[in-house]
Amino acid sequence: MKFVTLVLKSASRSKRRTALTMLSVAIAVFLWAALRAVLDGFDAVSAASSSTRIVTINATSMIFNMPVSYLEGIRNTPGVRDVTYANWFGGIYKDPKNFFGNFGVDAEGYLRLYPEIQLTPEEKKAWLEDRTGCIVGDGIAKHFGWKLGDKITLQVGIPIYGTQDYDFTVRGIYRAGSSAVDNQSMMFHWKYLDERAIEHGIGWFVAQVSDPDRAVQTAQAIDQKFANSPAETKTDTERAFSASFGKMLGNLDLLLGSVALAVVITTLFVAGNTMAMSVRERTTEIAVMRTLGFSKAMVFMIVVGEGLVTAMIGGVLGAVIARVTINGEFLHMTGGFIPAFGVSNLNAVVGLGLSALIGVLAALIPAVMATRLKIVDALRRVA
Amino acid sequence: MALIELRDVTKAYRRDKIDIPVLDRLSITIEAGEFLGLMGPSGSGKSTLLNLLAGIDRPSRGSIRIGDTDISTLGESALAPWRSRHVGFIFQLYNLIPVLTAFENVELPLLLTNLSKKQRADHVMTALDIVGLRDRATHYPRQLSGGQEQRVAIARAIVTDPTLLLADEPTGDLDAKSAGEVLVLLQRLNQEFKKTIVMVTHDPHAAERASRVLHLEKGSLVEQVNS
Repeated sequence: MKFVTLVLKSASRSKRRTALTMLSVAIAVFLWAALRAVLDGFDAVSAASSSTRIVTINATSMIFNMPVSYLEGIRNTPGVRDVTYANWFGGIYKDPKNFFGNFGVDAEGYLRLYPEIQLTPEEKKAWLEDRTGCIVGDGIAKHFGWKLGDKITLQVGIPIYGTQDYDFTVRGIYRAGSSAVDNQSMMFHWKYLDERAIEHGIGWFVAQVSDPDRAVQTAQAIDQKFANSPAETKTDTERAFSASFGKMLGNLDLLLGSVALAVVITTLFVAGNTMAMSVRERTTEIAVMRTLGFSKAMVFMIVVGEGLVTAMIGGVLGAVIARVTINGEFLHMTGGFIPAFGVSNLNAVVGLGLSALIGVLAALIPAVMATRLKIVDALRRVA
Repeated sequence: MALIELRDVTKAYRRDKIDIPVLDRLSITIEAGEFLGLMGPSGSGKSTLLNLLAGIDRPSRGSIRIGDTDISTLGESALAPWRSRHVGFIFQLYNLIPVLTAFENVELPLLLTNLSKKQRADHVMTALDIVGLRDRATHYPRQLSGGQEQRVAIARAIVTDPTLLLADEPTGDLDAKSAGEVLVLLQRLNQEFKKTIVMVTHDPHAAERASRVLHLEKGSLVEQVNS
């Protein structure tokens, strides 16, 4: 403890340089926490996915529709208890930057298969009775200030749904009961969409299986049923389906992990260079301390302590900023792809650990330099 | 009683595979409580001798006994704690740590002891009292004059009550008035506090304060003057 003042004062020797080093570590921790939040968000979707729901999409790609007639085919497959369907509408609310997920769904079936979509009985009734009614998540409703009864107009985003704008009335504001469902989306009646569509079809089916242990076999049975047809299907568990959203963007783990690693390594070099400069400038001081009786080990610990303090203050700054700013307010930016988004306490703590690691690693070489210093040579340089 | 005994001390530096002799078979005895001045031209080996006595450099040959310890046989891990207990070093350019106050600079060697915070503070204030800078305890080196900085450096050197005070041209960077004050202080430490002092100097006036002056040339003792 008695060396704390010495370490702190040494670290604050060049305030601007120390502040910039802290800032670089803060940015590294912030970026790491933000990237981790994205990956954790995708993981949370998979983790919360139902084991009784399987999803069928066009085997070529989920951007291609399947015939409406597949509905009965899936319903009649052994092991399927219930089935519903949906289409990605891709509508634009005022401006393309106001991106959020909007789907045409089989309203009754969808609410049956997704009890996580929580509506009051009045809201549910009002939506089911209104052909142009829609329900919106409480997150997106808060973001755009929507209330029950509000009129919303979406421009067509995908040409197969015509050219005319779609008008909706907000009939319900749902709460998401789990991370399997986000609160940043809008759902409306599939029939309303189908009425105006130039090409008809269904984007994906969601089937509820009677036995979760036989979900894979049921999925295979569905795909076999439509094998060798113009629109072959690919059926998988909801977890795999959720993961496929992420895979559409590439190998996220590798991509974001590489970015985070690059940021951390760059920061390591910045901090290491700063520490080395600091030690070089203090050659005489270190020689004086050694003359006074400070051992090599003590000098080593003081230099590493400086690196640790500098980096950890930056780490705390980055973790706090990430914890405060990366939260539910960012959800709408993900368009509902990541229902749960935020920096967990664990990630904040790991971020701090990362900053400590940067501090120690950055100080290692300068600390070794300081211990290898020959006292007489260092004193002679200034004499 | 002899505090320091150098026997046949030789020191040579190796530069580009060539041995450069600095001290040549030097034998000196320094009594406890003595104020010894070391004079000589540049390159005569004065500072090298001081560094050997401080245990921050090691002889090529010969032995250096200080008190009961032959420091020429000690490794760096043993020399560091030995220095903290037995040596107070005063540099020509003061070498205070600029980010520490006068108090913190003087306290620095005490951080290596087991003294409590309160005990350290008492020792520091006593040392600052002796050098007449108690009222400057919270000042940073940049807020002090050269003479005051050197007095703080002296306080740092004496705060652990070391066996030996080594001063490397302590007045070399000071004006005449400040130099006089520093020399009076060193003389007082020697006479009043019975400190053994070895001082390297180019200044004959400074050397006059010493009880004995040794003249070195090319690494050998050429003259001894007792005052």
